[in-house]
Amino acid sequence: MNPTLTRLRRTGGLAALLAGVGVVVALKATGAAPATHPVALPNAAPPPSHTAAPASSSAAGAPAGGAAPTTSAAPSQKTVDGDVSQTPYGPVQVELVMTGSRIVDVRALQLPSDASRSRRLAQIAAPTLRSEVLSVQSAQIDTVSGATYTSQGYAESVQYALDHA
Amino acid sequence: MARHHAVARPSAARSGHWVVRAALLACGIAVCAIWWSNTNAATLRTPGDAATAVGRVAGLVGAYLVLVQLMLLARLPWLERAVGLDRLAGWHRGLGTNVVILLCVHVLLVVIGVGLTDQDTPWSAVWEVLTTYPDIWLAVSGMALFLAVAITSGRALRARLSYEVWYWVHVLAYVGIALTFFHQISAGADFVVDPTARALWITMYCVVAACVLCWRVALPARRWMRHALTVERVVRETPDTVSIWLRGHALRELDAEPGQFFLWRFVTVGHLWTAHPYSLSAPATDRRMRITVKAAGDHSRMLAHLRRGVPVFAEGPFGHFTASARTRRAVLLIAGGSGIGPVRALAERLLAGGGDVELLYRASSWQDVALRTELDRMPGLRVRYLVGRRAELGFDPLDRRGLHKIAPDIAHRDVFVCGPAGMTAAVQGALRELGVPRTQIHTEEFSLR
Repeated sequence: MNPTLTRLRRTGGLAALLAGVGVVVALKATGAAPATHPVALPNAAPPPSHTAAPASSSAAGAPAGGAAPTTSAAPSQKTVDGDVSQTPYGPVQVELVMTGSRIVDVRALQLPSDASRSRRLAQIAAPTLRSEVLSVQSAQIDTVSGATYTSQGYAESVQYALDHA
Repeated sequence: MARHHAVARPSAARSGHWVVRAALLACGIAVCAIWWSNTNAATLRTPGDAATAVGRVAGLVGAYLVLVQLMLLARLPWLERAVGLDRLAGWHRGLGTNVVILLCVHVLLVVIGVGLTDQDTPWSAVWEVLTTYPDIWLAVSGMALFLAVAITSGRALRARLSYEVWYWVHVLAYVGIALTFFHQISAGADFVVDPTARALWITMYCVVAACVLCWRVALPARRWMRHALTVERVVRETPDTVSIWLRGHALRELDAEPGQFFLWRFVTVGHLWTAHPYSLSAPATDRRMRITVKAAGDHSRMLAHLRRGVPVFAEGPFGHFTASARTRRAVLLIAGGSGIGPVRALAERLLAGGGDVELLYRASSWQDVALRTELDRMPGLRVRYLVGRRAELGFDPLDRRGLHKIAPDIAHRDVFVCGPAGMTAAVQGALRELGVPRTQIHTEEFSLR
């Protein structure tokens, strides 16, 4: 085969490969526009319940993370602690504030803090994770890139709290 | 180091390669789908996130393609039948550099992504990655090995390194694959959060490992025990060409067609660790096979010193340069250099099928003409020796005019060409100019690197 043609095909192959990877991500990103936004205030009519179960040692870690909106004390509001989820970068634990079966706030009790990067990532990730939980009202949340283990631990802790609410 | 082995390409017959291409593409898309399904579009808004995301996809696709590289040359019988080892080797070569570049993009973008997210300097971003990601040192070592493989296979170096050095650096790719696997599972976001994806990914690695172990280790070993192939004798054909007779049991079971080649590995000092492709130079019998090799590199030179009784591993047979590619009654065989080996074997088989068979043997001097007695004695074969360097002759006997003079009816013949790369390409061009249809030209070289 013609050598220039061969070279052209070869560089063409590489370009196609790289472009393909870029296009996949670009396609995904353009789908972003309408998606997640922090959602919905709690509805009224919460079924009265009162099993405010303090699941585990809630105190421990510094409540890092950006989750700090004071929840106005509605009559049937309760807080439920998730369990401590261990990640390679440190423990993650959340506390859910619930009105009936509705999650109205998520507070991070512990976030990874073993290294400066972990702390910074946790600070970036926590608000995103919180708004995701509030939006989907479950533990089925997407990971925040760069904070995979934190996201996973966060979701596990939320799930535990929901299971024990 | 030229290793000329013609493998015909009856282009119409082997359309199976499109199926294989489609399957590989589909699997690649499936790999991207893993990332797609685990990623929330809303997390791709900052430049740092975008860089990390592209880096991750590049890593996933790169890792997948590395396994594809292994599978292409895992000697899977159905893959070899559908595509042909020659073309598979071509894909492997073509893909190789691109895969390593893709992996470099992965490394670069992940570091850049970390740097942008943390607003770090590039160096502290590198430091962050190296100190906080699990199994990252294994991955870095593996990447270094991939780079070594890519560099030694690049056109610039490949010509300068001996086959043995190239081969051994290439084997390091297996180590690289093992080393990089761990960080994929422990630091790869998709596999940390998605157990299904993790299971699939690990399964993919297991399947590839099983294929390689089965077809590149277990089966050759079993065959070795069954056929007990050994060197019977070494015959010098010309000053730089030797024939090696091999003896074994039940060789018919190998189904080796004249014109095909095996990857040979001689179990003796200096030969054990490399396998080389050489074609059969005579039809195989149940007890014997023969190859004829021209000294072109360290290995082929050393073949002259093989002792009787040396055990031989053979992988194969491979190739489609066989009598089954024939479409016409009249056949023209064109051999140059060590291409005479497979052509000699093929001639015997073609003659057995009847019809008109003519052989052109191109050599730079009479001294270099191998197997002449056999060729002259083969009943029904017309042999024409085209001897002399082009500079001495003042013309190229295998150019358009030369070929037309020898065979005016060439457009109505099948033409099998086997010789050095330059000769093969030139003859192919001349044949096309003479109006020989592509389906009647059977020619190709095989070289592992």
